[in-house]
Formats: sequence, C-alpha cells, structure tokens
Amino acid sequence: MPVSAEQYTSLRAVLGDHLMLFAPEVIVAGTVCVLLLLRLFKAFDKLHLNPVAAGPLVVALFLLGTQWSAYFDGSAGATAFSGLIRLDPFAAFLRGLLLVFALLALVLGRITGLPDAADSADYATLLLGGTLGMMLMASANHLLMVFLGMEMASLPCYALAGFLKGRRAGSEAALKYVLYGAAASGVALYGISLLTIKFGGGSFEAVAKGYADLARTSSLDAITAAGTLMLLVGFAFKLSAVPFHFWCPDVFEGAAAEVGAFLSVASKAAAVGLTVRFLMTVHGACADVTFVPKTVGVGVMVVAALTATLGNLAALAQTNLKRMLAYSTIAHAGYMLMAVATFTSDGAAAALFYLAGYLPTNLGAFAAVAAVRTATGGETLDHCRGLAKRSPATAVALTVFLLSLLGLPPLVGFAGKFQVFESVYSAGQSFGRLGSTTLEGGFYALLAVGVVNTVVSAGYYLRVLKAAVLDDSPDLTPRPPLQSGEGEKNQNPLPSPLRVGEGAGGWGLTAFLLLLAVAVLVLGLAWNPLLALTSKAVESLPGR
Amino acid sequence: MISLWHFLGVGAILFGLGLVGFLTRRNLITMFLSAEMMLQGVVINLLAFGSHHGSLGGQAFGLFIVTVAACEAGLALALFLMLYKRGRSLDSGDWQTVREVGVPPAVDTVPLPAPPPDDHPTLPVPGRLPEQAEVRFQEVTRA
Repeated sequence: MPVSAEQYTSLRAVLGDHLMLFAPEVIVAGTVCVLLLLRLFKAFDKLHLNPVAAGPLVVALFLLGTQWSAYFDGSAGATAFSGLIRLDPFAAFLRGLLLVFALLALVLGRITGLPDAADSADYATLLLGGTLGMMLMASANHLLMVFLGMEMASLPCYALAGFLKGRRAGSEAALKYVLYGAAASGVALYGISLLTIKFGGGSFEAVAKGYADLARTSSLDAITAAGTLMLLVGFAFKLSAVPFHFWCPDVFEGAAAEVGAFLSVASKAAAVGLTVRFLMTVHGACADVTFVPKTVGVGVMVVAALTATLGNLAALAQTNLKRMLAYSTIAHAGYMLMAVATFTSDGAAAALFYLAGYLPTNLGAFAAVAAVRTATGGETLDHCRGLAKRSPATAVALTVFLLSLLGLPPLVGFAGKFQVFESVYSAGQSFGRLGSTTLEGGFYALLAVGVVNTVVSAGYYLRVLKAAVLDDSPDLTPRPPLQSGEGEKNQNPLPSPLRVGEGAGGWGLTAFLLLLAVAVLVLGLAWNPLLALTSKAVESLPGR
Repeated sequence: MISLWHFLGVGAILFGLGLVGFLTRRNLITMFLSAEMMLQGVVINLLAFGSHHGSLGGQAFGLFIVTVAACEAGLALALFLMLYKRGRSLDSGDWQTVREVGVPPAVDTVPLPAPPPDDHPTLPVPGRLPEQAEVRFQEVTRA
C-alpha cells in the first residue's frame, strides 16, 4: 500500500511522541547491544555484568514512571507506529511489571551466582531480549506484532532453559522447549495467516471488525474457525494451558530455578496480557454480548477448568520442587484463564491483579528453591527437610510464599484469588440477568472448580511446608548438584557455574527472600491501591 | 486459471506435510526441518494474500517470517550440535531422562538405523615428491 504525502507528514509528526512513549523498549534494546559489545573489551572480562544491565533497566522504569500519570489520566496512550502496537494504560501496567521482574531477576542472578562473571553477559542479554519480546507482546495491536513478540520472547527462553550447558537435564530441557516451541509457533502463524487473509489485514481493529460482521450474520466459516483455533493454540502454548502444557514440567525441572522463575512469571504475564487484549478487542466489537462468550468463551472456560485441575492433581505426586512449582504454574495459569473467560473488564482487572501478586510470590518461591539448592546441592523434597533449623529466615519466607500461592489471607495470593472468583461469580450473575442460563450455570460450575482446586492445592503446598518446618534435617553433605535422572550417564559433569555450599548466596539471598516476603504481605494487607490501579488500567481495553 | 485458492492449497499442503513430518519423525534435524516447512506454507499463504489484494503487507509479513525462521534455525541447530557432541546421536528418543516419576521411558519398537561409522579423514596418497623438495623434507625430518 503506497503511502500518500499527507499520511507521510502525519506519520512524521507523531513519530517523536511515539518514540518517547516507546523509550523503555528502546533502552532495553540498546542495553542488549551494549552488553554484547562490552565483551570485546578485556577490562570487562572479570566484571559481573548483571549490575551493569540493571542500571538501564532502572532508567527505563523511571521513564515509564514519568509517563505513568499521562497514561492514567488519559492524555497519552493510543495506537503507535501506524497502529502496530498500542501503548495504553493496560500495556503500561504490564510493561512496568515486566521491567520490575527483569530487574529482580538480574539481582537474583547476581546473588545466587547462576551466571558467573564470564557468562553474565549472555545471561543478561538473553533475559533482557526476552523481556523486550514480552513487552511487545503486552502492547501488540497487530497480528504481525503478535508473531514477532511471541518469537522474540520465546527464542531467548529456549537458550535460557539450556543455560547450564554442562547438565544433561538442562540440554534436554532446551531441546524439548525448542522443538515444542517451533511447532507451536508454526501452528499459531498459520492461524495468523488464515485470519489475515480472511479479514484483509492484521490489525486488531480489522480483525475485530471482521468478527463483528460474522457475528451479525451468524456465519462462522471454516477458515475463520480454523484460524482462530490455531492462533489460540499458540497463546495456550505460551500460557502452558492444558492440553499444550507438556513442555512445562520437563523444561522447569531441567532449567535452573532462576530461569524457571522467569519462564513462569514474565512469560505468563505477557501471554495473559496478549490473550486478554486480543479477546477483549474482538468481544468489544461484537454487537451481541453473548456471541464471543458462547463460542470462544466456552472453550476458554473448559480449558481453564482442565488446566487448573490437571495442574493441581499432577503437582500432588511430585517430589522435585521445581517440577512441583511447574505444575503449580500450570494451575495458576488456569485460575488466570478463569478470569479471562468472563470477558468483562472486572475479569481483566482480576487477571492483572493476580499477575501483580503472582510476581513476588512465585519469584520468591523459585528463589527459595535456589536457596535450598545453593545450601544442599539438590532440589527435591528431601533437600527441603529441616530447612527451619538450618536457615530459619529462608523457611519463614518460603512459608509466606507457599501460603500465598495457596491463597490464604492476609497474603496477596488470597487477594488475587478473591478477585478472580468474584469476577467469575458476577459474570455468572450478569449472564443470568441476560437470560443465558447455560452460561450462568457454566460460570457457577467454573467457580466451583476453582474453589475445589484451591482446596486440592493445599495438599502439595503444605507437604513442602511440613518437610521444611517439622521434619528433621537428613544428613546432607554438600556435593556437586545432580539433577534427577542424571547420575550414571553423566559421570563427568562439566564445570558448572552454580555455587554450592553454606557460603553461597549468604545474607544477600536471605535479604532478597525476606524483601519479597514483605512485599507479598504488604500487597496482601493493603490491596486497595493495586486494585484501583488495575481497574484503571483495563479501562482502555475495548469491551464492557 | 490459477486463483488465490490454488496458492492457499499449496500453502496448506506444505503446512500439513510439515506437521505430519514433525509428529512422525525421530531425527532431530528432520523434525526441525518439518517445523520450518510449516513456516514456508505460511509464507506462501501471505504472499498469495498480498498479490491478491495488491498490497505489500503480505510480502512484508513474509520477510519477517523468513528472518525469524532463520534465527530460530540458528539457535536450534546450535543446540542440536551440542546434543550430538554429547550423545553422538540425533535420535530424539534418547532424550527422556527428565520425565514423570514412575513412568517408564517410551521405547520405539523400530530402532533407528545405526549411523555410519565416523569417517576419519585420511590423507590422500602422496605422489612422488620433486627432487629438491624430497631432500628438504628429509632434512627436516632428520632434524
């Protein structure tokens, strides 16, 4: 499509404004380039580059903070770069969340020494590259950006999963992730191409308009149905929703705990943001309020119920802490999908709130696993036994994180679950008022599934707590870390960057854990500010 | 007359072949090639769409896909090379040490054909050295 002279002038005029709003991403991208170049200089060989990478992230967060009020009073924020992305309060919230998480992940990596000084440039580059892709996913407003964001987020994650190069399990994790991811992105892309062909363009507005036309004439043809389904398969892969969750436990078990935290929190936040934006845009364009909930919505409800149930049931049987947390991640994706399935702004706000609470909680849980690993060299339930006697502060923090994941008041996990269940209940009520008894019953059933699942999840969270607090410490002499399934096949492990022993991590890790635990507690006690923020952030979403 | 639907048909066939190949093959490189073939089906779709609507959007999209596919292939092939150095095998079935507790590994009934033995490079049979060079060669070896 040739650009006319007026279009060119108008694009030139707003380019500066858009670049200002886009500055956090530009800074992250620039940092990636600088980190790669720093390795050329001998002076930086011995320097740990995580703090170097953290500096620009603080600047990016500060820039986002200066634009914050402009976003939330409505004077800034709309589509940018000729409609490819949408920088609105919803995106600003998620981008802030992702930047905060990247900062915390860099700090955690520096404390636990997952990347040693020699590897720190690679680690920080991959982490920031993944964050950049996730920020694009959160603000994508065009199917091209959806694809680019998903790939930019996935590729660094593949490499991060195999970051422990000497470990057989790490390589296996990367292999499974890369193969599954390549196929999933192929399927999602085919769906994108079908939708682009069908609707004559990839922007969310064009796609939503196309769906609205279909809804008016109630003629859902095979191409649209197949395209939508395939695109949603790609989203489900990123969300690790059943039945596309098979990569998740294996990847989490093989990858280091710090990487697991990145995959479970940041990747999930971006995927939830993308799913919510896409589905809400489509829903907002359809004149019939029940069209999307009755078609896609039912599918999302079923997937959400299955995801939460299967995640919780499978987690009950796990002995490896990381594998257990992987299944817990799947279960939490199910809870978030329950909020997404309501197709209300309350539900979207609940999903955002849940994500904001999930960030310190799950990062803390993975950091606690990393603390257990640095102290004992293993990550199973047995290594957790007697944690309270060995390291009381870690045990206290772990208790807070696990109880928050379980959803006990006064922790933030309870607040998040409350929001989600409340939005599901009110969605059921409002569909009941609209006369759609099937949807009403469906939402009440979803609510019941969610509550039962919360009770089931107590089984495995409390089992870890019992091991950590009540059980006696077995004889654990620090030894080189071996992961499950390793052993006889891997007699000669390559030098691993992981430090093991009492001194590793030290007070820094304890302080980090306690800080996150305090954050979980404070957010759980005073959730009004966050609630106000999330409900304001979703106002920019099209929808009702 | 070749219409848009013919192009879409070719794209769908490529995508389907890729999907089937990905699901049935065991060689890592073949699996990944199949995944890439799925992407090529998408590119054909988008190019056909672009020429059908007379817009450059489809071609731009296609360029992005080719670029991203190259990145993905670079990363995946580097990983496969690393795995091959560890296990001297490209069979994806060799990689199941990480799995559910208590679940036996999946065993394929038909074993992969054994890879040919490593060909160590052998030096070509040297011809007769020229007189001068032979003398120098002997001097060098004596020293």
